[in-house]
Amino acid sequence: MPEENGKVYVGNVNVAAKQARKLLLGKLRLGKLVDWGTAFSLWPVHLTTSCCGCEFAAAWSPRFDNEQHGALPWIGSRQTNMILIEGTVSKKMACAVRVVWEQMPQPKFAIAMGACAIDGGIFYNSYNIVRPWEIIPVDIYIPGCPPRPEAVARAIIELQRKIRREGIASKFVEEGWRPDKDYVKPKEDLCAWWRG
Amino acid sequence: MSSSEVIEKIKEALGDIIESIEEGKGVVHVFVPVDKIVEAARKLKELGFDHIKDVTAIDYPKENVIKIIYHASSYGNVELSKYIVGLGYSIPRDTERVPSLYSVWTTADFQEREVYEAFGIVFEGHPDLRPLLLSPPVAELKPLRKDFVVKEETIFRK
Repeated sequence: MPEENGKVYVGNVNVAAKQARKLLLGKLRLGKLVDWGTAFSLWPVHLTTSCCGCEFAAAWSPRFDNEQHGALPWIGSRQTNMILIEGTVSKKMACAVRVVWEQMPQPKFAIAMGACAIDGGIFYNSYNIVRPWEIIPVDIYIPGCPPRPEAVARAIIELQRKIRREGIASKFVEEGWRPDKDYVKPKEDLCAWWRG
Repeated sequence: MSSSEVIEKIKEALGDIIESIEEGKGVVHVFVPVDKIVEAARKLKELGFDHIKDVTAIDYPKENVIKIIYHASSYGNVELSKYIVGLGYSIPRDTERVPSLYSVWTTADFQEREVYEAFGIVFEGHPDLRPLLLSPPVAELKPLRKDFVVKEETIFRK
């Protein structure tokens, strides 16, 4: 026992992780398994920015039942890997969206829902909104005002196809970041109003 | 209680403070001078109008006037609860400070904060006058005034 001898054994975690990656993805070819697993464990975070949240709720209700696709909304941003932006994002809410996005573990995905999330919708020239693609990298867009719950299900299936076709999750394990998406940095300081 | 009886009651209670009084559908609009607004609100509350439903402001740039209206109604009195009294006053557009009615109706708290952020009117005597929904840089633009010009954008990007 190391404690008895007064010694603690410390290994280099990065080196160990690299060797494990090589073994798992190189020799054993577990990449497809990783993609398959990630595609059926999408956990959208509960962050209802706007009115499309009603459709978001309906999409997981018994009638439409998106849980059958392997996605279940969860409360904590640390335990989720998908963000579904519902509708308009006001300037105050943009801070919350970005903070939640930073808190989520990799590999993470974003779906923008509704006309407002694409280009402002009815608020297209408002003084108090931001576009979601200005603050986080968006994978899938859902058009509609609001989109039907079926459209939300379709977006989740498309995202699953994208993950498995392009191997996003296994590439993340290999590279350590998502090579298919650029890092989006907000142009303005979103939380300036909060820090005062 | 008919609407004319309500008007009579209000006229009796407020006396010669009233500038103008007129009846709409289910609404009675009462206008008073700015410096008598707190007194008028107290008297309306004694009459039975125990809460306000809304505080709103309207900008008239041509007449150089902003109208601020408090919509008061009643929960306690069943007869009065059928009516809404719009207690209002007009001020010149460059007025910076007006009296707050928080001391009379506590429900004015958030509503006055909204008027403050959207029109830039400071309510004196309000305990916590901060912007409510807008962030401070946006609130400085006074976005609901008519001379605030919305930047037009095309939906197609170049």
